[in-house]
Amino acid sequence: MACVWRLSALCGARGGRALFLRTPVVRPAQLSAFLQDQPAPGWCGIQHIHLSPSHHSGSKAASLHWTGERVVSVLLLGLLPAAYLNPSSAVDYSLAAVLSLHSHWGLGQVVTDYVHNDTMQKTAKAGLLALSALTFAGLCYFNYHDVGICKAVAMLWKL
Amino acid sequence: MAALLLRPVGRYCLHGHLSPQLCIRKIHFSAVPLGTSAKEEMERFWNKNTGSNRPLSPHITIYSWSLPMAMSIGHRGTGVALSAGVSLFGLSALLLPGNFESHLELVKSLSLGPVLIHSAKFALAFPLTYHTWNGVRHLMWDLGKGLKIPQLTQSGVAVLVLSVLSSLGLAAM
Repeated sequence: MACVWRLSALCGARGGRALFLRTPVVRPAQLSAFLQDQPAPGWCGIQHIHLSPSHHSGSKAASLHWTGERVVSVLLLGLLPAAYLNPSSAVDYSLAAVLSLHSHWGLGQVVTDYVHNDTMQKTAKAGLLALSALTFAGLCYFNYHDVGICKAVAMLWKL
Repeated sequence: MAALLLRPVGRYCLHGHLSPQLCIRKIHFSAVPLGTSAKEEMERFWNKNTGSNRPLSPHITIYSWSLPMAMSIGHRGTGVALSAGVSLFGLSALLLPGNFESHLELVKSLSLGPVLIHSAKFALAFPLTYHTWNGVRHLMWDLGKGLKIPQLTQSGVAVLVLSVLSSLGLAAM
């Protein structure tokens, strides 16, 4: 990904004022710039330096996680009318999976926001993983051995 | 995940002692991480401050509440509540004896009045509808839409109205 860095060079050789770079917001992708050839002395103006990524040492995990969260949210949004209009075993299991994952990731953000101690965060995340795993197992068990999520909601609502 | 902030790994080579103006400066911006990552800095901040027992400045008790602020914490609150409900449901399926129908029979035997049942349905539906509609609002923001301040208020009010109407509709079903 090429970014353009605008470099406002100082004028003349009088020095003193520092070169400042105004950069656009840069994603974790690594950029390698080779700034060569300081402008000729006395040159005042704007120099455009084009960069290109030379290697990719930053992790994309956080970015992918973010995208994953949005994808799951949209999936869940779609499953809601599906559950109402077309209740089935497939929808039951999909709901179990998507609901568990969405809630796991959501609660994960809450833990990240409010738990600051490193060891506390590790324990909280581990506890959350256990809870989410058990929830998913419970929902699947319910889908298999009992009436299933869609039917259960329908039955509850007929009360 | 720590965002690797770039910093110039300065390698200033000054050629030509003849004229100080004639210097070719090579500055590499490479993948050298800063001394500390964001995560490390945050950890230092919290360790320092929790250890010093300093009093916390008043924040939510004094800050003027705004609609987006309240709706944001509402989104989080309903999310946590819904997750708790789903987990309770899942765990009950694994741990409690009897099937779903038997539990429903138990509730039926309580002979709750229709008003109470209606209200209970509304109370169950509202967190779901609010979180769903506000969730759509969030997804719109993620697409970059509706981020101006007046739009925030408009979409916020729209979400509240839609949530109440949907909950009433669902409770009536």
